[in-house]
Amino acid sequence: MSDITLVIDGVECRAAKGDSILQVARRNDIYIPTLCWMEGLTPIGSCRMCVVEAEGNPKLLTACTTPAENGMKVHTKTDKLKQYRLQILELLFAGRNHFCMFCSQTGDCELQRLAIEHGMDKVRYPFLYEPFHNDATDPNIQLDHNRCILCLRCIRVCAEKVGAHTLDLEKRGWGTNVTADLGKMLGESDTCVSCGACAQVCPTGTITLRDFVYRGRRNDCDDQVESICPLCSLGCRIKAYVRTGSVARVEGLSANSPDGGQLCHRGRWGLPKSTERDRLKAPMIRTGSSFREASWEEVLNLIASKLGTASKANRAGALLSELSTDEELSVVSSFFRDTMKMEKVDGFYGNLLRGFVKGFQPFADQGVRPFTGAHNILGSDAIVVIGADPQEEAPVAASYIRVSTIIERAKLINLSAGKNPFDGITDADIRAALGGEMEKALISLRVAVEGGDEPEDPGMKEAARILREARKPVFVIGSGLAEHPALVTEALNLAVASKAFFDDGLGAVPMLRGGNCLGALNTVIGESDWLSESELDFLYVLSTGMVDEDKRSLEAMTRARFVVVHTPFMVHPLVNMADVLLPAPAWFERSGHYCTLEGERRRMNMIVPPKGNLKGLSVIMDELAGKLGLELQPASAAPCENVYEAKSPSAAARTVSLKEVL
Amino acid sequence: MTMAKPKIASVWLEACAGCHMSFLDIDERIVDLLGKVELTATPITDIKTFPEVEVGVIEGALGNEEELHLAKELRERCKILIAWGDCAVFGGINCMRNFLPAGQVLKEGYVDTVSTVNPDGVLPRQDLPALLPQAIPVDRAVKVDVYVPGCPPDADTIYYVFSEILEGRIPTVPTDIMRYD
Repeated sequence: MSDITLVIDGVECRAAKGDSILQVARRNDIYIPTLCWMEGLTPIGSCRMCVVEAEGNPKLLTACTTPAENGMKVHTKTDKLKQYRLQILELLFAGRNHFCMFCSQTGDCELQRLAIEHGMDKVRYPFLYEPFHNDATDPNIQLDHNRCILCLRCIRVCAEKVGAHTLDLEKRGWGTNVTADLGKMLGESDTCVSCGACAQVCPTGTITLRDFVYRGRRNDCDDQVESICPLCSLGCRIKAYVRTGSVARVEGLSANSPDGGQLCHRGRWGLPKSTERDRLKAPMIRTGSSFREASWEEVLNLIASKLGTASKANRAGALLSELSTDEELSVVSSFFRDTMKMEKVDGFYGNLLRGFVKGFQPFADQGVRPFTGAHNILGSDAIVVIGADPQEEAPVAASYIRVSTIIERAKLINLSAGKNPFDGITDADIRAALGGEMEKALISLRVAVEGGDEPEDPGMKEAARILREARKPVFVIGSGLAEHPALVTEALNLAVASKAFFDDGLGAVPMLRGGNCLGALNTVIGESDWLSESELDFLYVLSTGMVDEDKRSLEAMTRARFVVVHTPFMVHPLVNMADVLLPAPAWFERSGHYCTLEGERRRMNMIVPPKGNLKGLSVIMDELAGKLGLELQPASAAPCENVYEAKSPSAAARTVSLKEVL
Repeated sequence: MTMAKPKIASVWLEACAGCHMSFLDIDERIVDLLGKVELTATPITDIKTFPEVEVGVIEGALGNEEELHLAKELRERCKILIAWGDCAVFGGINCMRNFLPAGQVLKEGYVDTVSTVNPDGVLPRQDLPALLPQAIPVDRAVKVDVYVPGCPPDADTIYYVFSEILEGRIPTVPTDIMRYD
C-alpha cells in the first residue's frame, strides 16, 4: 500500500494513492479535528474544521477530502489554522441556537467538545437568533432545526447506509434546512424506516431520540458493553450503554462494518424498552388463577415428577426460543434429547426452519453451503427478492437491498404474491401466488437463464435478461417460502443457474427470523411438527420474552396439561398458560453465541448482571436430571457452524430436479 | 505599610444566582480568599452601590434598561471586568426569548400564560425597567476582560480565575476545566 510518502507535522507518513490526508494522519496518530466527517460516510469537507496547510499551496485544504500526494508537507496545528477553526466554531455558535444549558445533548455534543477543545470562551460574532422550527411530529425522533449545523451526517447515513433517502436539504444559505421527503415533516414521511441512524450520527442536539434523552446521555452512563441484537437472524452488533444498572440506550457498533453501525427500529427501541417490563424474579407455582412464590427445590421436584411420568408415556415436550444462545440450546437439547431421550423437542419457528432445511437439503448433500452472508447483498449486481418482506423480516437486510440498488446500481427483481416491498426501485416486478404459480415462475426463469425458452411476460423476460447478465446475483428468500420447501429448492436452483456463487456459499439469503435460528437448526428443531397435533401431559417452554408467541405455540400450551414457562418477563400472554413459572435472565443478562446470517458466530455479552433468585440453565437441567435419577449427557448436536459446512466450493453446485428430492 | 486588599464588586443581573452559589462552593478556601480581597457590593454582602474596585464581576445577561445601566456603572468603577457564567458570556438561557419579538415575550409572560390572571391585559410600564429588544451577553454593551463560561462555572474554575488575578495575571479559562453546561 505504501506507494507515496508525505510529511505531516514533521512525521514521515506512508500512504496509498487515494488516501485522504485525514486518513493518513489518523493512521499515524496525528489528531486533526473533524465535525462533518464520519467514519464510513462519504467525506464532504463542508464544516472545514479539518483544514490543514500544505507547503507551496496558498489555499487551506480540507484534510478529509484532499488526497494525500507524494512529497506533500502538511501542517495541521499552525496558529493560523487554530484561529480559523476557532472562527468556524464561533460562527456555528452564532448561527443558531447553540446554548448548551438548555440542550438535551450537552456533554454528548461534538460541537461543544470541539469548542471547549479550542478554548472558545466567547463568541465574537453577533448571534442571529433566527427561529427555525422544531419538528416533533415523529413519535420517536425529534428534529430541532435550531440546533443544526448542517454537517449532513444524517442525510448521508440515511442515504448511504440505510438506503432510505428520507432526509435531504431544502432552501439555501442561512435558511438551509434538513427536511424529510422533499419538504414533509419527519412524522409524515413515507420513506422513513424509523431506524434512528440519523440520531446516532448527529453531532449536536438536533436529532434526538426521545426515549434516550430521558434514559440518559452517553456521558451519564457508567459503562458500555458490546453485544449483539437477538431480535432477527442478522444479529447486528450493538453497543449498550449502562446507567445505574440498567440499559439506557443501544447503538450500532461499527461504521466500518457492512451495516455501517446501523440498527433497525426494533433493535434501537425494542431492546432498551424491554428493560422496563415487569420481571419474573422467583420461581412460582400456580394456585387457581394466580401464582405463589416457591423455592427452587419445590418447583424442580414438581417439574421432575410431572416430567418423569409424562415422558414415560411419550407425552412430554419442550419448546424453545430461537433467540436462545448456542450454549442454552445445547444444554436444553442435551437434557431433553440426549438424557431424557425425548423426541418432542422443537423451536417456536420449527415449521419455518424445517421448511428451509428441507429445501436446502439437496444442496447441503452436494457439500455446498446453501446461503451466503447477508452483507453480500452489498456489492452484488442483481438482487432477487422472492416472497420476502425484508423490512419486516430482517430490516437491516432491507437496507442492504436499498443501498445496493440505489447507490451501487444493482438491478432489483421482485417476485411476490402481494405488494412489492421495494416499490419504485424495482427493475422487474413479478406477481405469483405462493405455491404452484411461484414454482412455475421460478422454473421458467431458470430455463430462460440457462438459455432455454424466453418467457412471454415482460417482467419475467426482463428478470431473465438481468440474471443472464449478472455476475454476482443474490437471492433473498422470504420466510413464507418455508411452507413450500419445493420453492426454496427452486429458488436455489435459480441461484445455481444464475451462477450466484460466493466464497462462503450459494448467493441466497433466507429470512430465518429468530436471532439464532441457524444455531437452533440441529440442536432443537424436531423432525416433524409434533406441536400442532400432540396432546401433552408436560410442556417445557423456554422463552426470551422478546418476540410474541405464535398462535400454534399458544394453542399447544393451552392443550397441554402441565406447562412450565421459563421466561424473564412477567407481562406476557404465555404467563397465563403456565402452571409453573421459572425466572430466566433477560437478553441483557445473558452471554453466549449466536450463529448469524451475516456468516459469523457472534458473541452476546452480559451487559448487566442478573438480579433476583435465578439459577443457570445448566444447573436447572443438571438438578432435574439428578431428581429423575439420570446423569446429564453431553450434547450430541454439532456446533452450529458445522451445520452447513461448505465442503465443496459453491461453484460446484448443480441444480436439482424437484421430483428427485421432495 | 501594608497594601490595601484589592476590592471586588459583583452583581447578579439576568441570571439565576447559580454562579454566586458556585462561588460559595469554593468552601473553606473562601476564608483564605477573604484574607486577600475585600468583598464590597455583592449579592452575598447585600451592599447595593458599587465603590471604585479592582475587580468587577457580572453574573447574567443584560435584558432590561436597569441591567444595562448597572453593567455600565460597574464597568466604569472597576479595572478588570469578569463575565461570569454562560449568561454573561453568551447570553445563556435568557436568549430563548430572542427568538421572539420583545412585545410578544411580554404578552406571553403577563397575559397569555394559562396561570396568569390579567383580564385587562395590563403590561408593565414605568413600574418595571423596560425590556431591551433582546437579551445580550455583557460584552455587547461594555468591554469584558475575562470570560468564564459555565452554567455555572465550577468552584475550582472560579477560584482559579481569582487566584490568577491576585497574582497580577489576566487569565483565560484552561480547556480542561472549561464548560458550557
